[in-house]
Amino acid sequence: MNHPILPLIPLCAALALVGCERAEQRTVHSDQPVHGGTLVYATDREPTCLDPHVAGDMPQVFVAQQYLDSLVSMDSDGRIGPWLATRWEVSADGLRYTFHLRRDVRFTDGTPFNAEAVKANLDHMADPKTQSSTAGGYIRQYRGTDVIDDYTAVVRLATPYAAFLEVLAQGFLGIQSPTALKRSRDQNCESPVGSGPFKVARWDRQNQVELVRNPDYNWAPPTAKHQGPAYLERIVWKFIQEPSVRFASLQAGEVDVIETLPPESHEAARRNPDVELIVAQRPGNPTNGTFNMRRAPFDDIRVREAFVRSADVEGALKSVYFGEFPRAAGPLSVATPFYSGDFEDSQNYQPARAAKLLDEAGWTGRDADGYRTKDGKRLSATVLIGARTPPSELTLWEQVQATTRQVGLELVLDQMSDAQVTARQAAWDYDIRTGYWNTNTPDVLRIIFSSAFVQPAGVGGYHQNSSGYADPGFDALLESALATQDPEQRRALYHRAQQQAAAQYLQLNTYPQSTRLGIYKTAHGVRLEPSLAVTYLYDAWVSK
Amino acid sequence: MSSATSLAVTDPRRERLAALGRRAVIRLAGGVLVLWAVASLTFFALRLMPGDPVLAILGGPSANPSPETIEATRKEYGLDQPLAVQYVFYLGRLLQGDLGVSYSQHQPVTQVLAEQGGATLELTVAALLLAWLLVLLLTVVTAGRGRLVGGLASMAETLSAALPHFWLGVVLLAVFAFGLRWFPPAGSDSLASLVLPAFSLAIPLAGFIAQVTRESLELTLDQPFILTARSRGLSDLAVRFRHALRHALLPGVSLSGWAIGALISGAVVCEVIFSRKGVGRQLYQAVQVQDLPLVIGISLVVAAGYVLANILVDLLYQWIDPRQQEAKP
Repeated sequence: MNHPILPLIPLCAALALVGCERAEQRTVHSDQPVHGGTLVYATDREPTCLDPHVAGDMPQVFVAQQYLDSLVSMDSDGRIGPWLATRWEVSADGLRYTFHLRRDVRFTDGTPFNAEAVKANLDHMADPKTQSSTAGGYIRQYRGTDVIDDYTAVVRLATPYAAFLEVLAQGFLGIQSPTALKRSRDQNCESPVGSGPFKVARWDRQNQVELVRNPDYNWAPPTAKHQGPAYLERIVWKFIQEPSVRFASLQAGEVDVIETLPPESHEAARRNPDVELIVAQRPGNPTNGTFNMRRAPFDDIRVREAFVRSADVEGALKSVYFGEFPRAAGPLSVATPFYSGDFEDSQNYQPARAAKLLDEAGWTGRDADGYRTKDGKRLSATVLIGARTPPSELTLWEQVQATTRQVGLELVLDQMSDAQVTARQAAWDYDIRTGYWNTNTPDVLRIIFSSAFVQPAGVGGYHQNSSGYADPGFDALLESALATQDPEQRRALYHRAQQQAAAQYLQLNTYPQSTRLGIYKTAHGVRLEPSLAVTYLYDAWVSK
Repeated sequence: MSSATSLAVTDPRRERLAALGRRAVIRLAGGVLVLWAVASLTFFALRLMPGDPVLAILGGPSANPSPETIEATRKEYGLDQPLAVQYVFYLGRLLQGDLGVSYSQHQPVTQVLAEQGGATLELTVAALLLAWLLVLLLTVVTAGRGRLVGGLASMAETLSAALPHFWLGVVLLAVFAFGLRWFPPAGSDSLASLVLPAFSLAIPLAGFIAQVTRESLELTLDQPFILTARSRGLSDLAVRFRHALRHALLPGVSLSGWAIGALISGAVVCEVIFSRKGVGRQLYQAVQVQDLPLVIGISLVVAAGYVLANILVDLLYQWIDPRQQEAKP
C-alpha cells in the first residue's frame, strides 16, 4: 500500500525512531487540530453510485455525507436544526413547508444554492427515472416545490408528514448542484457535486474514492465542532471487503479509520493502545425476524408470543457477538427519536410462559421427534436465510433454533440465494423474514407495520410490511402522529404505536444495527453525524 | 484463409499451411458456438432465477421504492418484455458488439471491463509465470533423483496441487501480511500488493504443472540421448535444462492452456480475499445483484480468452508436431 508522503513534523525527521514516536505521542494528546494531510478510511462495501438519491444503500450515505450538505440538520437528541435552510414554517394543515435558505452557499461547481436548487433536488429524488428507493421512498407525499424568490421555497405535500424534516436531515436526501443533476444519471453517479466540506476528485472502482477539501466551505451545520474549511486536505476512501484484513490494516497503521469493525475484533481493538473505538447504535427498527401472520402458525398471537418467549436471544448474543451487541427488544432502537424504553422487557426469555401459551393454543400433541403437534401437524416455522446473511447472523438463528426446540417448536433455517428470498417474500411464502430498517424517524413503524405497505409495490410484488399486520386503528394512530408538529403529542402517539406493535408480537427483535469505527492513533476528531450515525470527517484531522 | 486453401494444391508446405488454416476456421467457428452458448446459458440461468432484478437494482430487500420507480426501472432495462423478446434483443446487440450497460455499476459493461480487466490480466499472467518459475526451480532439479528426494518433492507437488486458493490466500495473509508485515494485506496499487495473490494462485497451479512435467522429465532422463549428453561431459543441470527439459515441456505447456480457465476462477477468490481490483471480484458482485449485462459481459470475455488460448495451443501443437494431424483427420 502506498504511504502518502506527508509533511511530517520537521523535528521528527531529525529524531531517531524512538524520539519520533514520542513526538507523535505528544501530538496525539494535543487537542490542536492540524490543517492538511490525508486520512485513509477503509470500509467494507463499495457504493454502486456516489449520488445517494439513486437506489439508496448505506455505503452511499456514508461517503456522501462528506460532500453533500442537507437542508436541515439533526442533533444527537433528535432535534432538528438549521443547515442550508436557516428557518422554516409549516402550514397549519401540515401540507406546506416554507424554507428560508442561506444566501452564501455555492456548490463546488460554482452553481449558487437557492430555491431553484431545492426544487431541482426534491424533483430529482421523486422522479421515477432516478431509481430512488430510499430518498424517493421517504418523500412519497411530495407534490412539488414553488419558488417564491431566490431564497424562499415552498414544498407542497399530499398528506401531512411530520417526519418530513427528520428525513430531510438524512444524508440520503443531501442537496446537490442542479447543474450537475441535469447530466445523465450515470454521469452523476460517477461524480456528484455538492456544497459539502469535500468534493469527489476521482473514483477508482473496486479500489477507492478520492475526496479533496472544498476550500470555500463556510456553512457547517450547528452540530459541527468548527466552522470554515475542513482540516483534512484529502480523504482516501478505500474498499476492503474482508473484516480481518480491514482490522489488520488498521493495526498496522496502513489506514487511519475503518468502518464495520467486526465484533470479534472489539476486544483486540480495546486492548490495542494505538486504536480507539467508536460504537453507536443506529436509529430505526432493530435487527429482527418478522412473523408472517397471514398464515399458520403465526396467525395466532399466542404462538407468536410463545416463539418470542422461547427464544433465548440474550444468551445467543453473548455467545455469537461476545456480548458486544446489546439486546434491542422493542420495535424501535434506542437512537430513534421518541423511542420509549418501556418495551425492552416485552420479549424476555420465559420458556415456561411459552409452553403455557402453546398449550392454550392447542399445540398439545407431541410427535416422535418431540415437537408439538395439533391435528397431526407439527408446530414448525421457516425462516428464510439469504446468501448474503452474515455467518454470525445465521449462528444467532441457530441458537434461537436450539432454544425454541426445548418448548417443542421446530424452527427451520431455509438457506437460499437472495433472489429466491425475494421471490418467497413476494409470495408470502415464509414464516419469519429477517431484516432491519435504518432511519431517523419513528415513522418507520408505518413502513413496516401499516396496511398501506402490505400491498406489493409494483409488479415485482414485494411488500415492506412483511408481517402482514393490517389494523385500521394502528394505521390511524400513525397518520395522526404525522399530522402534528407538537413534539409532546408525537411522543405520546408514538408511545402508543410502540406499545401496540410490541403487544402484537410482530417481530422477534434481536440487536440494534450499529456503526462501529476503529480509529488509529494518527486520526483525531472523527465523529458520527447523528441522523443515521454516519461517519463525518469534517472535524477530523491527522497527525502523521 | 480461403484464398490460401485454393492456392495451396501442390506444395506440401503450403498444403500443411492450408490444413492448418482449415483447422483454425473450424476451431474458430466452434469457438463462436461456445461463446453463443455461454451468452445464452448465462442469460437464461440468470433470468429464470426466482427473484426480480429490479429489486436488486433498486437497492435490495431493505429498499423502499415506489411502484412508479419500479415500473420506470423495469421499462428502462426492457425487463417488461417477454423473455424471448429480451433474449433476441440481447443477442442482436451482442452481435453489434454492444455489451449493454451494467445495472449495478451505472457504467457501460465495456467500460467496466476496460477498468477492471488489466488488474486481472496482471494477476493471472504473474501467477502463470510464477508457477513456471516454481516448476523449473523445484521439479526440474529434483526429478529422477532417487526415491527419497523424488518422493518428497512429488508429495509436495501433489499437496500443493490440492490446496484450495481461498485457504492458501488466508494463510499467506496471516503469515506474510499480518504476521511478518512484509506485504500489504489489501489493495492493487503497487507491485508489492501483487505478490501474495500471485503466489496463492501460482502454488496450486505449479503443483499441477510439476506433476506432469516430472513424469515426462523422468521418462526423458532415461532416454539414450541423455546418456550421450552426459558422456560429453555436460554438467547435470546443463543436461536437465538444455536437453531433457525441451522434450519434457510439452505436457506442461498444454496444461497451461487449461490453466488459464482455472486461474480466472481462482482470481475471483483471490481478488475478494486480497481486496484487489479485477473482473473476478466484479463478477462475484454482479452475480449477487443479478446484474445480467455485466455477468454475461465478463463471462463472455473470460470464455473468449479461454477459447482463444486453447485454439492457439491446439494450432501450436499441429505446427510443432504434424503427426497429430494425421491421427486426427
